[in-house]
Amino acid sequence: MRHTIVPALLLAAILHPGTAPAQPAQATAQPAHAPASVANNAPGSAQVYFIWPHDGSVINGGKFWVRMGLRNMGIAPKGTAVPNTGHHHLLIDTGLPSMTEPIPNDRNHLHFGAGETEARIELPPGTHTLQLLLGDKDHIPHKPPVVSKPITITVK
Amino acid sequence: MRPRIPALAPALALAALLAGATAAATNAPANAYCYIGWPADGAVLPAGKPFRVWFGLRNMGVAPKGVAFENTGHHHLLIDTGLPAAGQVIPSDRNHLHFGAGETETMLDLPPGTHTLQLLMGDDQHIPHTPPVVSKRITITVR
Repeated sequence: MRHTIVPALLLAAILHPGTAPAQPAQATAQPAHAPASVANNAPGSAQVYFIWPHDGSVINGGKFWVRMGLRNMGIAPKGTAVPNTGHHHLLIDTGLPSMTEPIPNDRNHLHFGAGETEARIELPPGTHTLQLLLGDKDHIPHKPPVVSKPITITVK
Repeated sequence: MRPRIPALAPALALAALLAGATAAATNAPANAYCYIGWPADGAVLPAGKPFRVWFGLRNMGVAPKGVAFENTGHHHLLIDTGLPAAGQVIPSDRNHLHFGAGETETMLDLPPGTHTLQLLMGDDQHIPHTPPVVSKRITITVR
Protein backbone atom coordinates (compact mmCIF):
# COMPACT_ATOMS: atom_id res chain seq x y z
CA MET A 1 0.00 0.00 0.00
CA ARG A 2 2.57 2.53 1.12
CA HIS A 3 4.59 2.55 -2.10
CA THR A 4 1.47 3.22 -4.16
CA ILE A 5 0.28 6.10 -2.01
CA VAL A 6 3.62 7.87 -1.76
CA PRO A 7 4.00 8.51 -5.52
CA ALA A 8 0.41 9.70 -5.64
CA LEU A 9 1.12 12.22 -2.92
CA LEU A 10 4.35 13.25 -4.62
CA LEU A 11 2.48 13.76 -7.86
CA ALA A 12 -0.16 15.79 -6.08
CA ALA A 13 2.61 17.90 -4.56
CA ILE A 14 4.21 18.42 -7.98
CA LEU A 15 0.90 19.36 -9.50
CA HIS A 16 0.23 22.00 -6.89
CA PRO A 17 3.52 23.87 -6.44
CA GLY A 18 3.28 26.74 -4.02
CA THR A 19 -0.12 25.65 -2.82
CA ALA A 20 -0.68 25.94 0.87
CA PRO A 21 -0.84 22.47 2.38
CA ALA A 22 -4.29 22.92 3.86
CA GLN A 23 -6.66 24.37 1.28
CA PRO A 24 -10.17 22.96 1.61
CA ALA A 25 -11.29 23.89 -1.91
CA GLN A 26 -8.37 21.96 -3.41
CA ALA A 27 -8.88 18.99 -1.14
CA THR A 28 -12.43 18.44 -2.32
CA ALA A 29 -11.37 18.81 -5.95
CA GLN A 30 -8.84 15.95 -5.62
CA PRO A 31 -9.74 12.79 -7.52
CA ALA A 32 -10.91 9.98 -5.29
CA HIS A 33 -7.93 8.16 -3.87
CA ALA A 34 -10.23 5.73 -2.10
CA PRO A 35 -8.63 2.85 -0.23
CA ALA A 36 -8.40 -0.17 -2.52
CA SER A 37 -10.09 -2.41 0.01
CA VAL A 38 -13.47 -0.66 -0.12
CA ALA A 39 -15.89 -2.64 -2.29
CA ASN A 40 -18.18 -0.75 -4.61
CA ASN A 41 -21.86 -0.76 -3.90
CA ALA A 42 -24.12 -2.49 -6.40
CA PRO A 43 -27.71 -1.51 -7.20
CA GLY A 44 -30.14 -3.80 -5.40
CA SER A 45 -31.75 -4.66 -8.74
CA ALA A 46 -28.49 -5.87 -10.31
CA GLN A 47 -28.68 -9.41 -11.58
CA VAL A 48 -26.00 -11.62 -13.11
CA TYR A 49 -27.03 -14.81 -14.90
CA PHE A 50 -26.05 -17.40 -17.49
CA ILE A 51 -27.46 -16.72 -20.93
CA TRP A 52 -25.75 -19.95 -21.96
CA PRO A 53 -25.44 -22.76 -20.98
CA HIS A 54 -28.71 -23.50 -19.23
CA ASP A 55 -28.91 -25.33 -15.92
CA GLY A 56 -28.85 -29.05 -16.68
CA SER A 57 -27.31 -28.69 -20.15
CA VAL A 58 -25.52 -31.70 -21.58
CA ILE A 59 -22.55 -30.68 -23.69
CA ASN A 60 -20.82 -32.98 -26.14
CA GLY A 61 -17.11 -32.56 -26.61
CA GLY A 62 -16.38 -30.37 -23.61
CA LYS A 63 -15.74 -27.08 -25.45
CA PHE A 64 -18.43 -24.45 -25.24
CA TRP A 65 -19.09 -20.73 -25.06
CA VAL A 66 -20.25 -19.32 -21.76
CA ARG A 67 -22.36 -16.22 -22.32
CA MET A 68 -22.52 -14.00 -19.27
CA GLY A 69 -25.61 -11.85 -18.75
CA LEU A 70 -25.94 -8.78 -16.57
CA ARG A 71 -28.97 -6.62 -15.84
CA ASN A 72 -29.26 -3.18 -14.27
CA MET A 73 -25.51 -2.78 -14.12
CA GLY A 74 -22.62 -2.33 -16.57
CA ILE A 75 -19.30 -3.94 -17.41
CA ALA A 76 -15.98 -2.21 -16.83
CA PRO A 77 -12.49 -3.69 -17.05
CA LYS A 78 -10.46 -4.29 -13.90
CA GLY A 79 -8.96 -1.17 -12.38
CA THR A 80 -11.78 1.00 -13.73
CA ALA A 81 -13.68 2.99 -11.10
CA VAL A 82 -17.07 3.74 -12.67
CA PRO A 83 -20.19 3.57 -10.46
CA ASN A 84 -22.50 0.58 -10.95
CA THR A 85 -20.00 -1.45 -12.93
CA GLY A 86 -17.90 -4.55 -12.40
CA HIS A 87 -16.42 -7.45 -14.31
CA HIS A 88 -17.35 -11.10 -14.55
CA HIS A 89 -15.74 -13.99 -12.71
CA LEU A 90 -16.66 -17.57 -13.53
CA LEU A 91 -16.52 -20.02 -10.64
CA ILE A 92 -16.04 -23.61 -11.80
CA ASP A 93 -16.62 -26.56 -9.45
CA THR A 94 -16.18 -24.41 -6.36
CA GLY A 95 -18.26 -22.60 -3.78
CA LEU A 96 -18.42 -18.86 -3.25
CA PRO A 97 -15.18 -17.22 -2.11
CA SER A 98 -14.88 -14.53 0.57
CA MET A 99 -17.21 -11.61 -0.14
CA THR A 100 -14.76 -9.07 1.29
CA GLU A 101 -11.48 -10.09 -0.35
CA PRO A 102 -10.25 -10.25 -3.95
CA ILE A 103 -11.64 -13.26 -5.79
CA PRO A 104 -8.90 -15.91 -6.15
CA ASN A 105 -7.35 -16.26 -9.58
CA ASP A 106 -6.92 -19.92 -10.49
CA ARG A 107 -8.48 -22.63 -12.66
CA ASN A 108 -11.60 -22.65 -10.50
CA HIS A 109 -11.97 -18.86 -10.54
CA LEU A 110 -11.65 -17.38 -14.01
CA HIS A 111 -11.31 -13.61 -14.23
CA PHE A 112 -12.64 -11.55 -17.12
CA GLY A 113 -10.85 -8.34 -16.31
CA ALA A 114 -10.76 -7.15 -19.91
CA GLY A 115 -14.53 -6.64 -19.84
CA GLU A 116 -15.38 -9.88 -21.66
CA THR A 117 -19.00 -10.97 -21.73
CA GLU A 118 -18.38 -14.38 -23.33
CA ALA A 119 -15.73 -17.02 -22.84
CA ARG A 120 -14.71 -20.23 -24.57
CA ILE A 121 -14.37 -22.91 -21.89
CA GLU A 122 -13.17 -26.48 -22.06
CA LEU A 123 -14.02 -28.93 -19.27
CA PRO A 124 -13.29 -32.65 -18.86
CA PRO A 125 -16.13 -35.19 -19.05
CA GLY A 126 -18.31 -35.28 -15.95
CA THR A 127 -20.66 -33.07 -13.98
CA HIS A 128 -19.59 -29.51 -13.29
CA THR A 129 -21.01 -26.55 -11.44
CA LEU A 130 -20.74 -23.03 -12.83
CA GLN A 131 -21.53 -19.78 -11.06
CA LEU A 132 -20.97 -16.13 -11.98
CA LEU A 133 -19.77 -13.56 -9.49
CA LEU A 134 -19.22 -9.91 -10.35
CA GLY A 135 -16.13 -8.24 -8.93
CA ASP A 136 -15.33 -4.55 -8.61
CA LYS A 137 -12.23 -2.83 -9.99
CA ASP A 138 -10.14 -4.63 -7.35
CA HIS A 139 -11.81 -8.03 -7.97
CA ILE A 140 -13.74 -7.74 -4.70
CA PRO A 141 -17.44 -8.72 -4.73
CA HIS A 142 -19.88 -5.81 -4.53
CA LYS A 143 -22.15 -4.88 -1.65
CA PRO A 144 -24.56 -6.60 -1.91
CA PRO A 145 -22.76 -9.32 -3.92
CA VAL A 146 -23.92 -9.71 -7.52
CA VAL A 147 -23.90 -13.46 -7.95
CA SER A 148 -25.75 -15.85 -10.23
CA LYS A 149 -27.62 -18.98 -9.36
CA PRO A 150 -25.18 -21.92 -9.55
CA ILE A 151 -25.89 -24.19 -12.50
CA THR A 152 -24.91 -27.78 -13.13
CA ILE A 153 -23.85 -29.02 -16.55
CA THR A 154 -22.72 -32.40 -17.80
CA VAL A 155 -19.89 -32.82 -20.26
CA LYS A 156 -19.93 -36.02 -22.31
CA MET B 1 -6.22 32.93 -3.94
CA ARG B 2 -2.98 33.84 -5.73
CA PRO B 3 -1.42 30.36 -5.96
CA ARG B 4 -4.52 28.73 -7.38
CA ILE B 5 -4.14 29.80 -11.00
CA PRO B 6 -0.49 28.73 -11.39
CA ALA B 7 -1.39 25.50 -9.65
CA LEU B 8 -4.03 24.71 -12.25
CA ALA B 9 -1.77 25.11 -15.27
CA PRO B 10 0.41 22.02 -14.73
CA ALA B 11 -2.67 19.99 -13.85
CA LEU B 12 -4.29 20.92 -17.13
CA ALA B 13 -1.08 20.18 -19.02
CA LEU B 14 -0.95 16.73 -17.44
CA ALA B 15 -4.63 16.13 -18.23
CA ALA B 16 -3.97 17.02 -21.87
CA LEU B 17 -1.00 14.63 -21.91
CA LEU B 18 -3.02 11.84 -20.33
CA ALA B 19 -5.87 12.34 -22.80
CA GLY B 20 -3.23 11.77 -25.46
CA ALA B 21 -5.05 13.94 -27.99
CA THR B 22 -6.23 10.77 -29.74
CA ALA B 23 -8.19 12.02 -32.71
CA ALA B 24 -7.55 8.76 -34.56
CA ALA B 25 -9.96 5.88 -34.15
CA THR B 26 -9.08 3.08 -31.76
CA ASN B 27 -7.98 -0.23 -33.20
CA ALA B 28 -10.10 -3.32 -32.64
CA PRO B 29 -8.92 -6.94 -32.89
CA ALA B 30 -9.59 -8.27 -36.39
CA ASN B 31 -11.52 -11.25 -34.97
CA ALA B 32 -13.82 -9.14 -32.78
CA TYR B 33 -17.39 -10.18 -33.41
CA CYS B 34 -20.49 -8.28 -32.41
CA TYR B 35 -23.98 -9.69 -32.77
CA ILE B 36 -27.53 -9.35 -31.51
CA GLY B 37 -28.13 -12.40 -29.34
CA TRP B 38 -31.83 -11.67 -29.04
CA PRO B 39 -34.19 -11.06 -30.79
CA ALA B 40 -33.51 -13.26 -33.81
CA ASP B 41 -33.53 -11.87 -37.34
CA GLY B 42 -37.12 -11.99 -38.62
CA ALA B 43 -38.67 -12.23 -35.17
CA VAL B 44 -42.28 -11.12 -34.77
CA LEU B 45 -42.89 -9.48 -31.41
CA PRO B 46 -46.14 -8.44 -29.74
CA ALA B 47 -46.92 -4.69 -29.80
CA GLY B 48 -47.14 -2.80 -26.51
CA LYS B 49 -44.85 -5.23 -24.76
CA PRO B 50 -41.23 -4.15 -24.18
CA PHE B 51 -38.72 -6.74 -25.27
CA ARG B 52 -35.13 -7.39 -24.27
CA VAL B 53 -32.26 -6.91 -26.67
CA TRP B 54 -29.16 -8.81 -25.72
CA PHE B 55 -25.76 -7.59 -26.99
CA GLY B 56 -23.25 -10.27 -27.96
CA LEU B 57 -19.53 -9.60 -28.23
CA ARG B 58 -16.64 -12.00 -28.77
CA ASN B 59 -12.88 -11.52 -28.71
CA MET B 60 -13.29 -8.06 -27.23
CA GLY B 61 -14.42 -6.55 -23.95
CA VAL B 62 -16.83 -3.91 -22.73
CA ALA B 63 -15.74 -0.69 -21.03
CA PRO B 64 -17.82 2.37 -20.14
CA LYS B 65 -17.47 5.61 -22.12
CA GLY B 66 -14.38 7.60 -21.29
CA VAL B 67 -12.45 4.46 -20.33
CA ALA B 68 -9.52 3.77 -22.63
CA PHE B 69 -8.69 0.09 -22.13
CA GLU B 70 -7.12 -2.06 -24.82
CA ASN B 71 -9.53 -4.09 -26.97
CA THR B 72 -12.68 -2.67 -25.41
CA GLY B 73 -15.56 -0.44 -26.39
CA HIS B 74 -19.20 0.08 -25.57
CA HIS B 75 -22.35 -0.88 -27.39
CA HIS B 76 -24.51 1.38 -29.54
CA LEU B 77 -27.84 0.16 -30.86
CA LEU B 78 -28.89 1.55 -34.22
CA ILE B 79 -32.65 1.50 -34.74
CA ASP B 80 -34.19 2.02 -38.18
CA THR B 81 -31.08 3.70 -39.49
CA GLY B 82 -27.96 2.88 -41.50
CA LEU B 83 -24.40 3.00 -40.28
CA PRO B 84 -23.16 6.45 -39.25
CA ALA B 85 -19.98 7.97 -40.65
CA ALA B 86 -16.76 6.12 -39.92
CA GLY B 87 -14.20 7.92 -37.79
CA GLN B 88 -16.76 10.25 -36.27
CA VAL B 89 -18.68 10.33 -33.01
CA ILE B 90 -21.78 8.14 -33.21
CA PRO B 91 -24.86 10.41 -33.00
CA SER B 92 -26.91 10.20 -29.82
CA ASP B 93 -30.63 10.27 -30.57
CA ARG B 94 -33.62 7.94 -30.67
CA ASN B 95 -32.13 6.07 -33.62
CA HIS B 96 -28.70 5.71 -32.02
CA LEU B 97 -28.87 4.49 -28.43
CA HIS B 98 -25.65 4.71 -26.42
CA PHE B 99 -24.78 2.25 -23.69
CA GLY B 100 -21.93 4.18 -22.16
CA ALA B 101 -22.38 2.67 -18.71
CA GLY B 102 -21.14 -0.67 -20.01
CA GLU B 103 -24.57 -2.25 -20.37
CA THR B 104 -24.77 -5.56 -22.23
CA GLU B 105 -28.54 -5.68 -22.70
CA THR B 106 -31.52 -3.33 -22.78
CA MET B 107 -35.31 -3.23 -22.96
CA LEU B 108 -36.90 -1.75 -26.07
CA ASP B 109 -40.47 -0.70 -26.77
CA LEU B 110 -41.04 -0.03 -30.48
CA PRO B 111 -44.24 1.01 -32.26
CA PRO B 112 -46.01 -1.52 -34.52
CA GLY B 113 -44.30 -2.04 -37.85
CA THR B 114 -41.07 -3.34 -39.30
CA HIS B 115 -37.84 -2.22 -37.67
CA THR B 116 -34.16 -2.76 -38.22
CA LEU B 117 -31.66 -3.23 -35.41
CA GLN B 118 -27.88 -3.18 -35.62
CA LEU B 119 -25.12 -3.00 -33.04
CA LEU B 120 -22.04 -0.86 -33.46
CA MET B 121 -19.19 -0.69 -30.98
CA GLY B 122 -17.75 2.71 -30.13
CA ASP B 123 -14.49 3.46 -28.36
CA ASP B 124 -14.07 5.58 -25.23
CA GLN B 125 -14.93 8.66 -27.33
CA HIS B 126 -17.97 7.01 -29.05
CA ILE B 127 -16.04 6.67 -32.31
CA PRO B 128 -16.29 3.36 -34.22
CA HIS B 129 -13.13 1.25 -34.11
CA THR B 130 -10.76 0.42 -36.95
CA PRO B 131 -11.92 -1.95 -38.36
CA PRO B 132 -15.50 -1.20 -37.25
CA VAL B 133 -17.03 -3.78 -34.91
CA VAL B 134 -20.56 -4.00 -36.18
CA SER B 135 -23.26 -6.64 -36.09
CA LYS B 136 -25.39 -7.94 -38.89
CA ARG B 137 -28.42 -5.70 -39.36
CA ILE B 138 -31.56 -7.60 -38.40
CA THR B 139 -35.20 -6.92 -39.19
CA ILE B 140 -37.99 -7.49 -36.70
CA THR B 141 -41.71 -6.95 -36.89
CA VAL B 142 -43.78 -5.54 -34.05
CA ARG B 143 -47.50 -6.17 -34.32
